[in-house]
Amino acid sequence: MSSAAQKLPRSEARTLSGHEGAVLAVRFNRDGNYCLSCGKDRTLRLWNPHTGALVKTYKSHGREVRDVYSSSDNAKLVSCGGDRQIFYWDVASGRVIRKFRGHNSEINAVKFNEFNTVVVSAGYDQTVRAFDCRSQSSDPIQTIDTFQDSVMSVNITSTEIIAGSVDGTVRTFDIRMGRETVDNLGHPVNCISLSNDRNCLLANCLDSTVRLIDKSTGELLQEYKGHICKSFKMDCCLTNDDAFVVGGSEDGFVFFWELVDAPVVASFRAHSSVVTSVSYHPTKASMLTSSVDGTVRVWT
Amino acid sequence: MGFDNDSEQDLVVYGTPIEREEDTSARKRRAVAEAGQLRALPAWKQEVRDEEGRRRFHGAFTGGFSAGYYNTVGTKEGWTPQTFTSSRKNRTEVKKQSIYSFLDEEDIKGMGGNALETTQQYDTFGSTATEYARKQASKEQKERPSAIPGPIPDELVVPATTSIGMKLLMKMGWHQGRSIRDAHADSLYESRREARKAFLALSGVNNDYEKLQIGSHKSGKDESVKGSFEEIHASGNTAVYVLHPKQDLHGLGFDPFKHAPEFKDRKRLQKSARDHNKSDVSMRGSLLISNSGQYAPGFGIGALEELGVEDEDIYASGFAYEHMEVDVEPSKTASDGNYKLEDRKRGVFLSFKIASGSEYKLERFDPPEIPTDFDGRHKFQTPVQAVNNISDLAPPEVPPPEDISLRLLIEGCATMVARCGKHIEDFYKEKSKTNPQFIFLNEGDGCSYYARKLWEYQQKYIDQQRPDATKSKSSSDKLTAEDRGKILGEKPLDRSTKSSSSSFPANEAIQLRSNLGDTFVKPLSLDGTPEYQKPFRNDPAKQARFEQFLKDKYEGGLRPANLIPASKMSDADRARERLDFEAAAETIEKGKEKKSMDPLSVLGLTGINEQRFVSSTESERSVPPRDENSMYPRRDEFEWRPSPILCKRFDIVDPFMGKPMPVQRPRSKMDTLIFMSDSTKKTNDIVESSSIEPQHTAVAGTTEAKAKGTATVPDIETSNMQRPVDLYKAIFSDDSDDDMDEPVITELVDPVKTSEGANMVLNRLVAEDFLESLGKELGLDVPPEKPTLPNVLFRSETLPIANAAVMSRNGKATTCQEVEKESSLDKAEVANASADAPSGNDEKLDLKYEKHELRTKKSRSHSSHHQIQSGSPASDSTTDQHRSRKRRSHHQICSGTPDSDSSIEHHRSKKRKSHSRHRTRRSRSPYADSSSDSQHNKRKRCEKRHHRTRTPDTDSSDHEHKERYKSSSRRSSDKDRTRRRSRHHKH
Repeated sequence: MSSAAQKLPRSEARTLSGHEGAVLAVRFNRDGNYCLSCGKDRTLRLWNPHTGALVKTYKSHGREVRDVYSSSDNAKLVSCGGDRQIFYWDVASGRVIRKFRGHNSEINAVKFNEFNTVVVSAGYDQTVRAFDCRSQSSDPIQTIDTFQDSVMSVNITSTEIIAGSVDGTVRTFDIRMGRETVDNLGHPVNCISLSNDRNCLLANCLDSTVRLIDKSTGELLQEYKGHICKSFKMDCCLTNDDAFVVGGSEDGFVFFWELVDAPVVASFRAHSSVVTSVSYHPTKASMLTSSVDGTVRVWT
Repeated sequence: MGFDNDSEQDLVVYGTPIEREEDTSARKRRAVAEAGQLRALPAWKQEVRDEEGRRRFHGAFTGGFSAGYYNTVGTKEGWTPQTFTSSRKNRTEVKKQSIYSFLDEEDIKGMGGNALETTQQYDTFGSTATEYARKQASKEQKERPSAIPGPIPDELVVPATTSIGMKLLMKMGWHQGRSIRDAHADSLYESRREARKAFLALSGVNNDYEKLQIGSHKSGKDESVKGSFEEIHASGNTAVYVLHPKQDLHGLGFDPFKHAPEFKDRKRLQKSARDHNKSDVSMRGSLLISNSGQYAPGFGIGALEELGVEDEDIYASGFAYEHMEVDVEPSKTASDGNYKLEDRKRGVFLSFKIASGSEYKLERFDPPEIPTDFDGRHKFQTPVQAVNNISDLAPPEVPPPEDISLRLLIEGCATMVARCGKHIEDFYKEKSKTNPQFIFLNEGDGCSYYARKLWEYQQKYIDQQRPDATKSKSSSDKLTAEDRGKILGEKPLDRSTKSSSSSFPANEAIQLRSNLGDTFVKPLSLDGTPEYQKPFRNDPAKQARFEQFLKDKYEGGLRPANLIPASKMSDADRARERLDFEAAAETIEKGKEKKSMDPLSVLGLTGINEQRFVSSTESERSVPPRDENSMYPRRDEFEWRPSPILCKRFDIVDPFMGKPMPVQRPRSKMDTLIFMSDSTKKTNDIVESSSIEPQHTAVAGTTEAKAKGTATVPDIETSNMQRPVDLYKAIFSDDSDDDMDEPVITELVDPVKTSEGANMVLNRLVAEDFLESLGKELGLDVPPEKPTLPNVLFRSETLPIANAAVMSRNGKATTCQEVEKESSLDKAEVANASADAPSGNDEKLDLKYEKHELRTKKSRSHSSHHQIQSGSPASDSTTDQHRSRKRRSHHQICSGTPDSDSSIEHHRSKKRKSHSRHRTRRSRSPYADSSSDSQHNKRKRCEKRHHRTRTPDTDSSDHEHKERYKSSSRRSSDKDRTRRRSRHHKH
């Protein structure tokens, strides 16, 4: 095993417990000093994963919270969930600044753009909607409804909106070019994440395969297998040096694959139940996993 | 100084004068200065000073300087004289003033007045009487001559009066000789104490010393209670006996037991015990102190319960602090320390000393050596082993009996017995009494064979057990199917022999089973099982377990629970495996029905499978992905239009900026902003002109036009106005030429219209709206000639005012049974017709500026206008229907490609068609125009105009926008229709 592989976070540093019920997503903030988790208990929680301290709990959602994202300046949060609303929070006060409406169904994922001015959400209603944080309007400024099925995940680069859907497509909406690029993977796409160089796209498909796609050409670069992903929305991501692919499994395992040759370099049981989300530290060798068992674990 | 003031100027003064005057004047000045301040002070603080500012000194006996309040009595009121007023309503209280109201307590006392004091005068009980008696006695004593000369101290003779405490107690009902505490409580306490003592005595927990102590304690206590009262009774006002004389060398007030009262009490107790014989006083002292610090360490006393006397712990002296004693008196002498030590060890036997060197030594023994092979678990002699031990000697080898069924029976039996122990054999024997088949167990021809087989199996089984025991937990996974088979007692699978159950005659097998009383079942033979029934091929051990599972599932029977050493698996693993098996079995069942079906797909769907299980399926699943890989991922690209605001927020230049927008209405605001003034102006113009038009319709066209021109319309306006002509030319280029006499006809049309005001409103409303949509249209595919203004003005979509305005006409016009909307459209149509007239006027004006060719075409269009009038009012139902149909088609088209203009227009110029094609929603290159240069120029012009027509109103939504599209196209088609109709009419 290479030295890089040995540095992978495999030992549990601590467990962040507090959520009642499944934790559906966990996310590092931009600099990796804090993390956010959300879950079935209708709360968002802000943690310091390096000390294990629960910093704040945000309550307002009426149903489960499916995704959360923090702005790059750490001042705002955005969260979405089963109550069809997107909440735009003030981190410090814990108040909801705005609620964005427009989705007709549950919202699966939400993200800020680079300047924290637009919130882009993906919903079960087969749409991706963009909301303007600067206006008082709660209506979307753009609705993308070309998807054939529920949109599970959305990602934003400086010029693109990338969304993965259950219809098996990853659609890239290039704002600069005014183009929609549809990559049909043939399998429902659970989660998409971008490589740190923004050239590759990682798609977690429901056929228990993680696929790496060249963003510019749409070419399938690699497939990563070994884990189980058949019925849950589970995250996958790349390590911060883009050397490994990290993914959870429905049996509670976490898998590390080598990026280029796709062997499983490491896998260990992280949770007793489905690993819903993995989040890799932006700079350090640290990782967060969340699970249906109600815990978030910090790995170093 | 003695200098005269007059001569002061002339004299030279030497030295420093003694300035007494100056001094006083300075004081005066200060006084004056302070006078202001003084006034600011509260009255009572103000002091009286003389004119020199000195405080007046008076009344040295009453405090020297004068007091506040203007040197009055010190109260605000002072002795101010009051006038007596008393009325009927307000009676003056009669104040009885006495001298006392002017004296304070001290004065009164000094005067010997009666101040409140406690007194014994009114004591009706004994003390008064005794006092009285005493006084009497003393009096008598004084009077009568005494035997002893000299005064005898009162204390010795006269009984002192009882203290106030005692008196109070007596008032409360206590009388001397009784104990102070409540009699009942006391008795209760005593009885409890007795009970505890009895309990202790019974249990024998306490040693003699403790008993002694308790006993002494108790008796002492009783004594003390009694004694104390006696003492109280006896002592009277003698000083209270100091119970705890200071004997230690600690500083005064220092309490070494401050935070540990329990030690204090303990110590005292001990001391008292020690000094029991010596001094009564110390004993009493110790006993009088309740051992309040000692409470049972949690003997029924809750944390919140109040501690009472009853809760005193009699055991405490016994256990609690016996061994926790601290040497609290370090200052004591060594001998004292020794005594103390002794006390601690030997109790009260002071004469004993601790031996300096003890011969007694605690002997220690090392723990016994644990044998290295000891594993801490008890191994039971299993029946199998017992049997094994017995039958170590191998029975002689015996040929199997001829009867195959019997042989099988014997072998099966032997297997079972070998595996499950002797008791099974006994069980069989029991059975065999009634069943002749089992006769071999006891005697008969199979007996020796059975013995041999049994031995063989036992050997085999034991051999298997041993390695199994040493194997790790995962060893079960490594078992091969053969091993499993052996364990299960299966015969090695041999296709050639007919020993397999599949070759068994079915009825025989059944009979055999019934004969065996369903006690065991043949292992499932895998000969016949097709490949798809072995889902766990990759894991033979698991496959074997699976087969066993199948056997269990589908064949009844009694078998030992632990046939398979799968017990090494955890419960969870087993449960999961069982689920897998269930799923697999199900698929196999299905597979029997539908062989083509892949059981693994079903297995895969069970979701929570073990990793290895999934991996086993992967080899098979890897096939279809190969195919998929060939087709996936697929990449398609489409045009996608981000909203401008989104672009703005992403800080990206809108890729579609300045380009026509098929769906999304709000383009970049730039162009609207640029042409804002122009467009607004224009709309105003339009409104104005349109409002004027109806007025002037009656007048001759030329004059009308002129009037308009003079009114507001400069060159721009005229250039605007000429566009419609271009459009008409484009549309009606093939039409026959007619000269312009349209003003006359417009005359005909216009009078029908309602009042001017209504029109104005209508126009204003409509114009704005329409210009917008028109701009859209133009922006899209700017046809070189297009009707703008006439359309603009009378695109009365659904405006109520518009309806109202044309209602009268509408009544005539619509004779058909169209739906309401369509009727409204009709109105629009009518409006159009009327609009055409003014445009005609404009055209007239235009004529002056336009090229000749244009003019001809224009005139043609004008001719069509003429026809409108006659045609439209008399539109028959058939045409209406036709129209409606077309309209409907419009709707459809609009929803999809809002601008691919109606089929009606298709017959128009080719140019237009190409434009409309470009207008499709998804068009990749909206500007890919194949038109000629001249067209291009024209288009440019149109574009310009279109810009102008844009209204500042850019905020309406897409929906509205679409609506406009629809309406505009509808309108144009309507118009077209009317035109055609009118044409017909003319011809």
